[in-house]
Amino acid sequence: MLIELDRVSKTYNQGLPNEVAAVREVTLAIADNAMTCLRGASGCGKSTLLAIIGCVFQPTSGRVTVAGKQLARLPDRFLALHRRQYIGFIFQRFNVLPALTVQENIVLPLIPLGLTPQQMRERAGILMERFGIVHRRAFPAGQISGGELQRVAIARALVNDPPLILADEPTAHLDSRLSNEFMDCLAELKAAGKTIILTSHDPLVTGHRAVDQVIDMQDGRIHVS
Amino acid sequence: MDSGLRKHLNILDYTLLSLWRRRLKNLSILLVFAGVIFLVASFELVTQALTETADRALRNVPEITLQRLSAGRQETVPLTYMERLRGIFGIREIVPRVWGYYFDEVSGANYTVMGMDRRRMPGGKEMDLALARGDMPDPEERGAAVIGQGVETVLRQKGGSLLSLFRPDLSQVSFEIAGVFAPATDILTSDLIVLHPEDARDLFRIPSGMATDLLVYVANADEVSTIARKIATLLPDTRVLTRTQIRKTYQVVFGWRSGFASVCLLTALTAFVIFAWDKASGLSPEERREISVLKILGWETADILAIRFWEGLLVAGLAFVLGCTAAYVHVVFYDASLFRPVLVGWSVIRPDLRLLPTPELANFLLIFCGSVLPYLAATVIPAWRSASVPAETALSGM
Repeated sequence: MLIELDRVSKTYNQGLPNEVAAVREVTLAIADNAMTCLRGASGCGKSTLLAIIGCVFQPTSGRVTVAGKQLARLPDRFLALHRRQYIGFIFQRFNVLPALTVQENIVLPLIPLGLTPQQMRERAGILMERFGIVHRRAFPAGQISGGELQRVAIARALVNDPPLILADEPTAHLDSRLSNEFMDCLAELKAAGKTIILTSHDPLVTGHRAVDQVIDMQDGRIHVS
Repeated sequence: MDSGLRKHLNILDYTLLSLWRRRLKNLSILLVFAGVIFLVASFELVTQALTETADRALRNVPEITLQRLSAGRQETVPLTYMERLRGIFGIREIVPRVWGYYFDEVSGANYTVMGMDRRRMPGGKEMDLALARGDMPDPEERGAAVIGQGVETVLRQKGGSLLSLFRPDLSQVSFEIAGVFAPATDILTSDLIVLHPEDARDLFRIPSGMATDLLVYVANADEVSTIARKIATLLPDTRVLTRTQIRKTYQVVFGWRSGFASVCLLTALTAFVIFAWDKASGLSPEERREISVLKILGWETADILAIRFWEGLLVAGLAFVLGCTAAYVHVVFYDASLFRPVLVGWSVIRPDLRLLPTPELANFLLIFCGSVLPYLAATVIPAWRSASVPAETALSGM
């Protein structure tokens, strides 16, 4: 089992008048080499749960185990190291930095690894070749199309070769053609051995053939219907 | 290469890229900062150059100058005092000097008129070397004057070749120009007119047997303070000035002027540092998003701080180099034309001396500590807050 969550809760602004319980007592197990989709309405807590799995948030209570390591309560430095080694993120709006070139965006996760510029260029080159964006290598990311932007985001998530890919509402701003392309790409990654967790309420995603498990969430809890 | 070092080189590379991306903002900060450092460094260099020039010029000043005071004002000294001083062991020579200030109503300038017998002054012959042209007049020759560069300029503007001055009773007396002092001595000679002692006495109507002050030359430099103390005891109505005291007076004058200007400039520097602090602590949405993206991608808080540190160091370091270089060029090649009126002017005649500061590491270190370090502190400390931007900013789809 790659990921285990044991009674995980996350409360924002704890003890304040604007306290919000985003995730409540979630217990969950996600298998290796599976594609899991967290589904639910906006505000149901799926993005928060994804962020906890990705070590972006610390849970308020509960235990998170990823690849055999208990991550809750680890210092920021170790969490950053863990994210670097094990996780590739794909954001809702891709969060590609528009002023950087395509190649510069892709190598961002490699900079703290201490690789040589040539090693970084080689790794980025392989991925740009694979996703058909090598001709855009020197283009500022702000000047490329939505489809290309999506592929840059995937390439960036894969550049440090992480075993786990997390994608937060990745198709929210894509049309159906690009959404299908994206899901096909994730299916290829799954076939290559990656574990993928994504959040979405898009039927194109939840109904995709490569999705092994759909987990419904409501009011911060896993909803069993 | 060690991967830790490689990581820092990569971060430095990213910093340069980041600076270039925000080049307009960074360039404007760089220029303002370099401007402030230029002003501070210019004042520092001008003060240093003036002190050095004064030091060089004061090397030939007698070890002790004796003046007589009455009711707190300077009075003429009876030449009979010279006899009383001869009893003090260690005095090499005593030379009476007649001098005073002369106000030229036409040009509005104040001249310093001095009459002395250079034959009796040790090293008096070397005064010829201080001249740009002409000669010191023969010691017996009356009616001749040696003038400073400033006086010559005024004389040239008047279009005359004779120096005409008025006695207190408004009767006129004229002098031939025998020589002109070299620009290198300008700090002391620019407004100076050197006459025969009797001519000076006649011009100021100082009675014979009196002098304005006495120059006392001492054989052993180590005994100057002892001899000065003995003179002060022997002649209690006199003020005894040593060369060291005169040098200190110059340093205080320049130091005060420079210090006053430095306080004003430090205010500007402080304002700039506060501005830098404000800029560094307030993050634009773009910057917040970039930081949170980097953190999610596995960058540590320390890595983000390293970017801020390098950004600050590069901007401040470059501003420091630019500011100091511009200050050196301004002082050496343009004679500190922006600050001369503040630091050099005493009267209408301003010394036209050439400023040649010797760059000293301590001076630049002082400027570095007073500018670059506060700027780094002002940018890196609030960057801690910036680096603590929650990573979820990127997740919430900003």
